[in-house]
Amino acid sequence: MLEVKAVSKNFSGVPAVEDVSFTVNENEYVTLLGSSGSGKSVLLRLIAGLLTPDEGDVFLNGTPITDLPCHERRIGFVQQKYALFPHLNVYDNIAFGLRHRVIDPVKDESIIRKKVQNTIELVGLVGQETKMTGQISGGQKQRVSLARTLVTEPKICLLDEPLGALDANLRERMTIELQNIRRELGVSFMHVTGNEFEALAMGQNMLVMSDGRIVQQGAPQDMYARPQDLITAKSMHNFNILSGDDLSAQLKAGTSDKLPATKLKDAHFCAIPMDKIDISDASAKTSGLSAEFLTSEFLGNKIIYFFKIENGDVCEVENHMSLRERRELKANATYQLHWKSKDILYYGENKQLLG
Amino acid sequence: MDKVVSLRWFLGIFTAAFVLFLYGPFIVMGILSFQQGPEGGPQFPIIEWSTYWYQHVFGLAPPSRIAPLPIGEALIRSLTLAFATMVVSTVMGVLTAQAFRQPFRGSGVVFYSVILGMIVPGVLLGLGMVLLANQVGIDRNWWSTAFVLHVVYTYPFAFLVMLAIFNRFDESVEEASLSLGVSPAKTFRKVTFPIIFPGVLSAMLFAFTLSYDEFPRTLFTGGSDVTMPIAIYGTFAVEIHPNLFAFGVLSTLFSFSLLAVYGILLTLSIRRQNQRASGLQEDIT
Repeated sequence: MLEVKAVSKNFSGVPAVEDVSFTVNENEYVTLLGSSGSGKSVLLRLIAGLLTPDEGDVFLNGTPITDLPCHERRIGFVQQKYALFPHLNVYDNIAFGLRHRVIDPVKDESIIRKKVQNTIELVGLVGQETKMTGQISGGQKQRVSLARTLVTEPKICLLDEPLGALDANLRERMTIELQNIRRELGVSFMHVTGNEFEALAMGQNMLVMSDGRIVQQGAPQDMYARPQDLITAKSMHNFNILSGDDLSAQLKAGTSDKLPATKLKDAHFCAIPMDKIDISDASAKTSGLSAEFLTSEFLGNKIIYFFKIENGDVCEVENHMSLRERRELKANATYQLHWKSKDILYYGENKQLLG
Repeated sequence: MDKVVSLRWFLGIFTAAFVLFLYGPFIVMGILSFQQGPEGGPQFPIIEWSTYWYQHVFGLAPPSRIAPLPIGEALIRSLTLAFATMVVSTVMGVLTAQAFRQPFRGSGVVFYSVILGMIVPGVLLGLGMVLLANQVGIDRNWWSTAFVLHVVYTYPFAFLVMLAIFNRFDESVEEASLSLGVSPAKTFRKVTFPIIFPGVLSAMLFAFTLSYDEFPRTLFTGGSDVTMPIAIYGTFAVEIHPNLFAFGVLSTLFSFSLLAVYGILLTLSIRRQNQRASGLQEDIT
């Protein structure tokens, strides 16, 4: 339905988006994960028509819309900081698009009222209609912003970090609600976020963006288990990345069983899941990668231990409470880290997954 | 702690003294305007309290050797001129500030050439305008040459006020409107303008008051039909009577009432928002 083909955008010579292509299908929830500065917001603005690409084209249902101004594209855009109209109340904010849009404006107030009321019920804002935007909470603002866009029935809705400004509790609730709302309306959502959990939890399809490029796309499960690209692996925040000249020495020390020789030869980087690493005392008989314990972070259902390995990199070990008891480690003491060969992911010089 | 307290006292007293100094002339003028007339002069002591000079200003006093102030027509002229200047300068100021929201080539040159209008001494501009008008063969009038200079003078103020307003303006609301399918023109009308309206009011107030008591530019370029500041200056040259003070008091009150109107308009626009908060209101257009 929405097709982005080889789109690039520079800002005074600095590339912000480079040769990006992807498709969003009808009735699909796509998440786009990228750190700040990765160009994800610029990409959204290019699709929405708030920016024009230097190269490439955007198609909606097969029609090129690259040269159409923003207000003729019929693409919904929910902004990061809600951008509600401060001089209008909740009801008028939501009715704004229906009343004033260029294409097919609704003149009949009774139709507007019906549509707005339906959307207000859908997003759960009943009773807030007459409040000004300054009188409602962050979560409610988020809903108004969403309702304002959804009421105009766009075929696709772009959401720029929609949950970014909400507190953790609300964020969790909204993730579920967003999915429900989308399913009910049958529109496509393209949700941009810097939070890997959000991206994993919400998308049927997931894109990872870094330095203006899409580095990987696919189903969230695959992305998490076997990231094809080292950048994807990094952005999952689930892997320790080993690298450097002594990579094979590190692997040999830390791996408790036999290493595959062929992959080892080509590997420039290795990713080891944080929750697949065991810790044993320095005095233990088993060999391991020796590491200095720095500190730990208690997160309720899990605990994360931070180690410094010999080359100075920090290595994180995640301990789920349901699997293992909490261990008390001594600061600045040396421990042995080890893992199984089957858990290692190997990446070549081009940062792509080997084998 | 003691230091802070004494500093507070010092600053408080200083501020009070400053305000007193600020209003001093007005207070003296206010008292003297109630001097007995027509014999009482513009100095203390007050011979007897009376409203004679106020009657004199409105032409209600019995005829005497003191000529009435030639301000009737001058006042109308000044108000008309100030109003026209206000409209033109504010519109131009809003539009120029709007243009400056996006960087463009030569913006620095444009900025300083606009600002020049308020930096260049009025006498110089007035004199220059006279020379230019003579050269081109245009008559000098309050509604032509003087009006142009009033706009040149007040437009930078309106522009700067609007520039500050747009500086704090969050353009994401405009983008939201565009992405809802609303045209740029309607977005300006329905989103941008209502939000910047308090700023527009301030720009209008600035332009009006600056033009209303503008002197040097008008002196040179106003021609024979004088505006009020020139008319008042004209009466100085002969002899000063307390009728001038009475008029001063009245015009100061007029300025205050302008400020009050400004305040009321602002309050109304806030109250309108609160009303919307308490009950649905249909959009008429």
